[in-house]
Order: sequence, then structure tokens, then C-alpha cells
Amino acid sequence: MGFNMRYLDLKRKIRDVRMWAIQGIAEAGSGHPGASFSAAEIMGTLYFRKMKHDPSNPGWEDRDYFINSKAHSAPGFYSTLAVAGYFPPEEIKTLRKLGSRLQGHPVRYSEHQKHHSVPGIEYSGGSEGIGLSVGIGIALARKLDSEKNKRNKVYVLIGDGESNEGQIWEASMAAGKFKLDNLVAILDRNRIQQDGFTEDIMPLDPTKDKWAAFNWQVFEVDGHRVEQIVDALNKAAQVHDKPVMIIANTIKGNGIRHMANNPQWHGKAPPKRHTEVLLEELESECLIAPSIIAGERENYEDKIRKVEREGVDMIHLDVMDGRFVPNTTFFADTIKKLRPTTSLPFDAHLMIEKPLEQIQEYIDARCDIITVHAEACTENEFREIQERLVDAGISPGIAINPGTDVPKWLYYCLHDLDVIIVMSVNPGFAGQKFMPEVLPKMVALNKELRKHGFKGYVEADGGIDAITLQQSYDAGARIFVAGAAVYGGGDIHGSVIQLRHKAAVALEKRLLNHATQLNIRPDWMKARKHILIPYANELGIEEELHVTK
Amino acid sequence: MLLSSEKKTADMRGTYGDTLVELGRDDPRIVCVGGDTTDSLKTKKFGDKYPERMFNVGIAEANLVSVAAGLSIAGKIAFASTYAAFIPGRCIDQIRNTICYPSLNVKLVVSHGGLTVGPDGATHQQLEDFASMRAIPNMRVIIPADAVAVKHLIKTIARTPGPFYMRLARPSSEVIYADHAESFEVGRGNVLEDGSDATIIACGLMVGRAREAAEELRRNGVSCRVVDMFSIKPIDKQLVVKCAKETGAIVTAEEHNIIGGLGGAVSEVVVEHHPVPVRRVGVHDTFGESARDEEIDTLLEKYGLTATEIAKAVLEARSRSRK
Repeated sequence: MGFNMRYLDLKRKIRDVRMWAIQGIAEAGSGHPGASFSAAEIMGTLYFRKMKHDPSNPGWEDRDYFINSKAHSAPGFYSTLAVAGYFPPEEIKTLRKLGSRLQGHPVRYSEHQKHHSVPGIEYSGGSEGIGLSVGIGIALARKLDSEKNKRNKVYVLIGDGESNEGQIWEASMAAGKFKLDNLVAILDRNRIQQDGFTEDIMPLDPTKDKWAAFNWQVFEVDGHRVEQIVDALNKAAQVHDKPVMIIANTIKGNGIRHMANNPQWHGKAPPKRHTEVLLEELESECLIAPSIIAGERENYEDKIRKVEREGVDMIHLDVMDGRFVPNTTFFADTIKKLRPTTSLPFDAHLMIEKPLEQIQEYIDARCDIITVHAEACTENEFREIQERLVDAGISPGIAINPGTDVPKWLYYCLHDLDVIIVMSVNPGFAGQKFMPEVLPKMVALNKELRKHGFKGYVEADGGIDAITLQQSYDAGARIFVAGAAVYGGGDIHGSVIQLRHKAAVALEKRLLNHATQLNIRPDWMKARKHILIPYANELGIEEELHVTK
Repeated sequence: MLLSSEKKTADMRGTYGDTLVELGRDDPRIVCVGGDTTDSLKTKKFGDKYPERMFNVGIAEANLVSVAAGLSIAGKIAFASTYAAFIPGRCIDQIRNTICYPSLNVKLVVSHGGLTVGPDGATHQQLEDFASMRAIPNMRVIIPADAVAVKHLIKTIARTPGPFYMRLARPSSEVIYADHAESFEVGRGNVLEDGSDATIIACGLMVGRAREAAEELRRNGVSCRVVDMFSIKPIDKQLVVKCAKETGAIVTAEEHNIIGGLGGAVSEVVVEHHPVPVRRVGVHDTFGESARDEEIDTLLEKYGLTATEIAKAVLEARSRSRK
């Protein structure tokens, strides 16, 4: 929640991790996509945000330690290290090959092992159930060496399959005995191990009770929600005289729909010919951000809670000052009051004059994304806003109205720009109709900005419903602000399902087209069959799917 | 003077504990992990002196050695100790993957090796550890012959980076070396007595028996060289070859299965570099059994670990020698 997360930049880096990992696995022809993907948010949040570490000085004495006990998640781990800057990501394509530094299971880096490892790897894993004990050793040593206030943390990632090992529980007892409050274990609870589902092979539940009974402070999170992971890690820092266990409920293979929660994909590589389509799927992750000013302008807390239950990705907050736009909604004080309602990221869209003068209030209100209007600031003002937001760990964004082109100066600010909102209505009032003429603008802008180094997200805002979502998706948008489409009809549950469904249909259609271009359509449909069945009608592939074996 | 001039016994474990305390005094990086056997291993002495650097993890050997690995990753010199039956017996995987593969600075110093464990019986009589530890890359295997060797070798392994396995005996044992002897280099053996007709290469408690055998043979006109090969890995290849060339026959003696231990290590060198007849004295691929402390000599006799058995083997090897 809030500080130091820079939500969209973090999401984007984790997306890149998955994309590199799948390329490595496909090139190698073997490896573990399932565990790499279930742990992507955990490792990404640690390496890109939480941990003290320095890729240019991996042996830095004040670093936090990361021990990857479930070492078969190696492709994900290597990709995380590469995206963090430890080595060039391209090298991931040598994974598991003879002569590569990237061994099937990571090897502790040393002068002696430099041909079989990369800097930043502390521990040689592969045999299960050992890493937690190693983490205990490091934590004990660090307690001897450093004063309490600057003690390094030791983070250990463990798996639920490896929790079958007795040594995990030996370690669990020992960490409790030694009161290791500089040790944080994170359990990647994806519920699948090599032979099948964990609760069939060797049940682990009640997991939380077990760890608590072993004298650990236990937190439980959705392991694919970075905001929840950050929140738990922040809480972990406040725990004294006890080790911390964060149970991260995850989905094995999360990110590729036909691999997700499927035991078959524990340790199997996708065919290399599928790589491009898989990359497209990973790139296509989309985020839904309901705008709470839609419908009745009251009971915002209730509206937030209702969409949180439906699994939306963030909350869109339309701030209108009655001057930049004719309408007035709410300001930073309201956001501050709403903040404790949810851990979902706050996507604040400031439709206000002179945003620089008020930016601090929105930073203090703990927004996660703050977007200001290009029409409301000068280049210098925007640069200052951007700098302050980045320093505060907030994703900076810029919005343009339907009639506005991006200012030329924006091209000099792309490096730290996390989102651009392309308005598809004239802002100021809720419930307007989508302006289709912004679609070609979105396509052109997306292309042009990417060419100049923009790595962030395009957000579609204004008149988004099931139909226009698909259109803006095709035009390159990956964040969708939905107001009336969520809150308008009274059936919030049904509306969110409908939006997700339409987004899924759009995705499947694009992937099928891509597969067709690559001449692998039947093969792709075979791999994807159980995913495609519910959409067969809308995609018009019922018959084709029927004959696919 | 290499050898002790007086006949006395001393306790290897007690010496280990004292030496650890001494090392701990001079080097704050020395830490120790124990497994509910700290009294028996005498590492308790270290724990009493430096409680913050002693970690007792209870009866959990896999955790024990892995915690030691973690301590070494964070810059410590970690001694991990319990009975030889359990380290390496219960944690070869952790020793191999977690400690040896990355060559961590962990010293596995264990006691109660071999048949001389006595009353506890075969489950506690570790007889396969030289073989298993020797086969893992980066691991070095050190088997001291007496308490003096323990004192020097503990210091040596503490200052030599990387993993070591050292096995101590349970009973007090005959002191072989003079107190100030300092000839304990990893990878070197010590020639305790010279001779020209055969060489007995022994380690641990069998070094004393080897000397007795040499004495007996000398009385019968056979001149026997006696080598204490405390460094089973790396083995003193040069010395083994030299003995093969100069004496023409070799007998090994160890408190270990004859498969894969000192006998194996010596044979490998001899066969490759200068083949001569070799006889291996040790436990013949079987498990031991209980014996009360006062019956231990009889137990060793029953399993063929005596001076007489060594002398017999020397004569046999010599009879086939071409020298």
C-alpha cells in the first residue's frame, strides 16, 4: 500500500520477468514455468522494491539476503536478477544449456563457480527443504554482527511441495527458538507439486495454524497482488522477537491461462514455436480500475468494498476541481479517508488546475498512481511532479483530452512515465459516450511513444464498456477505467464478470490470429482447448474446436 | 621430536572443545552448531565461554549442517558437530549440495566413529563415512590419530577455507605425537617409523595398532615403515608412491569398512602409479555390534582390527611382493 511501491513500474517489471522466463524455458526445452510464474510477484516485489541490494556490488555487506529454497523456480529467479540488473537478460536464452552460467538449479556465485553461476546468487538449491535452515544460519550470523536498527533482513522463499520435507519443520522450530525477527519466510502456496495437487499428495493445511504453532508471526496474502505483498513485508519489519511467515496464496503458472493451476505444467517447457504467442499473452495482461464517481456520489467506501470483492485491480479516483473541468468531485482529504478501506492501489486522476501546487497532498494521501493533465502543466512543472512522485514511490502519469495531442516535451519525460491516459470523453462529467475517433489516436500514440522508449501503460478512460473495452484493447490500452459499466446497472458482480469476459474473448481472438499467422493454429488450439471451450461460440470456432484432438 | 616419549592417553573430544575455545578467543568468526550432543562432543566448553556463538538446534542434523552453511555464507567459520552416525549419516544430501557444491567454509567435526563407540551398537558405529565423504568434490577428509593431532588439525582446518570432515574417536586414546609436534599439513602423511620391507598406512586409532604390529614384525626380522595418513583426502600421493617403490608392499589399517576408505584411497594411488601388493585391514563389509567399554579390545579383535591382524596382512603382502 502506498509508499515505495511505484505500482505500475513494478507490475511492468514483473511482466518482463515472466516474458524472459518463458523464453528461457522454451529455448532450453525444459524447466519449471509453473513455479517461476507463481513466485514472480514475490521475487519481483523483493528485488525491485523491498530488498537492500546492489547489482553492481552483489557482496555489499549491508545487503539483505535472498535464499531461494524452491530452486526449481530458477527461470523466474534468473529473470528477476536480470531485470534487476545483475546480468543481461538476453543471457536467459542460454538457460540449462551446456556451457551456460545459468544452471538448471541456481548455484551460489563465487570465484570458483563463476562459470556456473551469476553474481547475486547466495545459495545452491535444488534439493528441497534446505533453504530455510540456511536462512536461519545467515540470520544468526547477522544478529551477531550488526546492531539491531541496521540489521539486514534474510528473505527465504519456500514452496508448499517442499514443505513435505521434515527439515522445513526442523528449521521452523529452530527459527522460533532463536526468535529470529530478521528472518522472513515467504511460502509460495500454489497448491501443486510434481505429482499433483498438494492436498492430495501430502496435505499441508491448516498451513497458517501450523506456522503459528511453531511460534512464527504469520501473514496471509494474495501472492499475485504486489500491494498485498508490500503491505505484509512492511508489517514484517515491525515484528519483534519472532520470525515472520508470509503465506502467499498463488496460482501455479499464473500469467499463461492454459498453464495456470495445471499440474501438467509443473516441470514442462512449452514448444518453442508457441513462444511468440505466449509472449503476447503475457504482454496483454490488463487491469480494470472502476471509477467510484460513477452512479450515486456517496458511500464511496461501500463502492470500493463491493468492487474489491470482485477482484478488480485498482480504484480509479477522479478528482475534479470545478475549474479545470466544470464539475467538482472530491480532493485529497477524501482520498485520505478512503485509504484504510482497501489495500487496492489508488489510481488518482487529477483533473485540476495547477497540479504542482497540490501534488504533495495527494502524495500524502497515499495514492499509488497520480496522473495529471498535459493541458494543466508546463514541461518544467510536469518534470517536477514526476520527480517528486518517483521519489515517493508513486507511479507518475499524464492524461490528454480527446482534442489534445501529446505535448512535444513529453518525449523527454518518457523514461519515468508509468501511464498515459488517453481520454475518450471530454472530462468533467460521468456517463458520457465513448468517442471512437480516439482509437486511431491511441494506436498512433502508442506506437510513437514506444519508439521513443515509453515502457509504461496506456489507460483508456471514458465510456468504457464491454464493447469499447475490446476496441481500446486492440488499440493498445491495458488499463481500463470503468465507471457506469460497473456501477451503472446495479449488478456490480455481473458487470465485472462481463468486462473480464470480454477482455478474455479479445485476448483469445488476438492469440488465435497470431497463431494463425505463425501457421500453428491447430497446435495452439490443442494446447489451449480447455481455455477456449467457454468462448467457442463468441470466437466462432465451435466446429474447429470440436475436431481438435 | 615427532613422537611422544611417554606412554599416556588423552581425550580427542576434550581437546577439540579446548581448541575451539582457544580459536574462539582469537577469532570472532568462529561459531559452533550442536545437535543435543554438545556435552558429549565437548563443544559445550565453547558454548559456556561464548554462548552467543553456540547454536544448539536439537536433534535435527539436516538442519544442523544447513544452519552451519548459512552461518558460513554470512562470513562465519562454522563448526558443526554431533555423532558420526548422524553427520554424515543423516545429512549427506545437505553436505553435498548445500556445503560442498559451493565449497562453503563449514567444518564437520564429529565423534564416536567406528567400532570403538562400543555399547551403543551397530547403529551408532559409523563405518562408511570416509567413503561417502571422500567421494564428494571439494570435501576434505581428516582422521586424526590422537589428541595432539586433533589440537593441530582443528587449527589447520579453521584457517583453511572450504569444507572439511573430521572424525574423532569416543574413547581416550594413546598419545602418539609429542605435544609440540607441528607436522600436520593437509594432504601430507607422517612417517612415524621407517622401514624397508613393507609400509603400514593407518589412520585414527589404528595408527597405534600399526605401530604395535611394526614392533612385533621387527622382533621377527621384518622392517616395517609406519605412516599416519590423517589426510585421507587429499591423500599424500607422493608419499604413498614413495612407500610403494621403496618397500614394495603396503597394508592399510582403518576403523572403517574396507570398501572405499583409506584402503580404497591408497589402492587407487598404488594401482595407478606404482602397483605393488596391497592388503586392507578394516571391517569386512559388515555391521558391528554392542560391547561394554571393557570389552572393546575383544570387539576389535572379533572384527579383525588388531595389531596381529595387521602383522599377518604385512606378511601376506610381502610374500607376494616382487621386491
